[in-house]
Amino acid sequence: MNPVPALRFVVRVALQNIVRNRGIAFASLLTVTLTLLGAGAAVGVVFALDKVLQQEESQASVLKVFMADHISFASALNLEHTLASEPSVQSASFENKDQAAAQASSTLGLGGALHILETSGGGNPLPASINLHLKNIAAVTAINNQVSTSDLLFPGPHQTDYNKDVIPRVEHYILAAQLGGAILVAVVGAVALVIITISVRTAAFVRRQEIEIMKLVGATDWFVRWPFILEGLILGVISALLASGVLLGVGVAFGSGGSLALGVGVQLAVLISLGLILGGAVLGSFGSLVGIRRSLAT
Amino acid sequence: MSISTSPAPPRPQVAETTRPVRHEPPIIVFQNVSKTYHNGAAAIRDVSFTIPPRDFVFVVGASGAGKSTIIRLLIREETATKGHVLVEGQDLARLRRRHLPRLRRKMGIVFQDFKLLPNLTVAQNVAFAIQVTDPGRSHLKEKVGEALYIVGLEDKLNTFPTELSGGEQQRVAIARALVHRPRIFLADEPTGNLDPDAGWGIVQLLLQINHRGATVVMATHNREVVDLCRRRVLAMEGGCLIRDEQEGQYLKDGEANL
Repeated sequence: MNPVPALRFVVRVALQNIVRNRGIAFASLLTVTLTLLGAGAAVGVVFALDKVLQQEESQASVLKVFMADHISFASALNLEHTLASEPSVQSASFENKDQAAAQASSTLGLGGALHILETSGGGNPLPASINLHLKNIAAVTAINNQVSTSDLLFPGPHQTDYNKDVIPRVEHYILAAQLGGAILVAVVGAVALVIITISVRTAAFVRRQEIEIMKLVGATDWFVRWPFILEGLILGVISALLASGVLLGVGVAFGSGGSLALGVGVQLAVLISLGLILGGAVLGSFGSLVGIRRSLAT
Repeated sequence: MSISTSPAPPRPQVAETTRPVRHEPPIIVFQNVSKTYHNGAAAIRDVSFTIPPRDFVFVVGASGAGKSTIIRLLIREETATKGHVLVEGQDLARLRRRHLPRLRRKMGIVFQDFKLLPNLTVAQNVAFAIQVTDPGRSHLKEKVGEALYIVGLEDKLNTFPTELSGGEQQRVAIARALVHRPRIFLADEPTGNLDPDAGWGIVQLLLQINHRGATVVMATHNREVVDLCRRRVLAMEGGCLIRDEQEGQYLKDGEANL
């Protein structure tokens, strides 16, 4: 079979199908657009939530290891290097006693109390510390347990400091957001698939006599299928383009400072749009394949 | 093309046909074929016959006798529950689904209800059979014109089926079935929806197609046509083949009305 006239025929029939069944085509276009809009919005919200949670996670992933007063600067640096070489540690920085006092003065307003202690001969009570930024929130507890056994640490029950309560909560939220987003996208995708399948099945029913004749005169199953697949593909892609356009419009309207609404970046918006177009194309083609299957059964 | 017909030739003129070639292997073989549908109804039972190339065969019988089932088995719209159906030596039960289009391109098929697409013109309906099987085929217009010339509708190229009489619509269906130059021509009650004159015209056309070298199998309960033509008759009753007669009639002497 010559591919060029065959392609021309398939495109012509697919477009004819859409025009002839424009009522059904419009209804499926509208519904698939709405479902893809829902899917795109869900992905945007999940990504925005994920971004917020990542910020929370990076803040909760800081581990402050307090040093004993008696250890030398060399020993402290040695421990810092050892910890920095751990695979789960992103960065490590040493904070001496003076820096700790300055930090406490500026952030906690303890400048006056520290000055009194120092002038009365009590010295600076704040310990030096190594501040660890961990790559993953899940590694905080493990690193904490590892350094707790070192005899270089500040004596007493508060050798290390990290946000113990936040970690499991943040982990829980991240998991819930990812799972919820995935379920939402899957449900919306399934709805779009069913709608396209029904649309193509209706189109196949309207064209049942044409399909019957095609089969009787010796057209192959694939030749019967292709116009329907193309029809689904066109509807899916147009729906995705409409949904992307609406999402981008809303994002720009409610965005600020170089990013779209919900803090979604332009790059992410483009990725979501491309994902929707790809999703629309796959949903359209696959829905058509399922929709036409019954008509080819005999 | 030397063959032409008028839309309604006078009766009882019967066109010349070629004689079947009995020394060649049969083009159609039914070997103890039975077909039972899913609801348990037996459509045909233990039917056996062979058809040599270029034969013209009437399959006769009352409604429900199994005539259409034989046609549906031949185009493999149905498969036999028992026995074997062979077309050009190919057992249709073993034919892979992807090879089915090749089988159907060897066959021209027409039905009682014409199966024309109402939104396409006569020429487009005929061209459709080529476009969906071999879109790149050259000389499309010539082939369509030739098929329409054979059926006598070369002046109706741009007419829509709804503007044609029943007989003319059946001629368009025949022209569409002819564009692949089929070796086997199957007609399931092609005169069923037509008045006697138009029906007779269609039978004349099928006889001419047979004369051109195609094997024709026509399922009918049109007694007048069968009796006038005096071709081979396979008589069905209650799903069984009760008679296979050369130059037969619709009813044999003493036979109850089918």
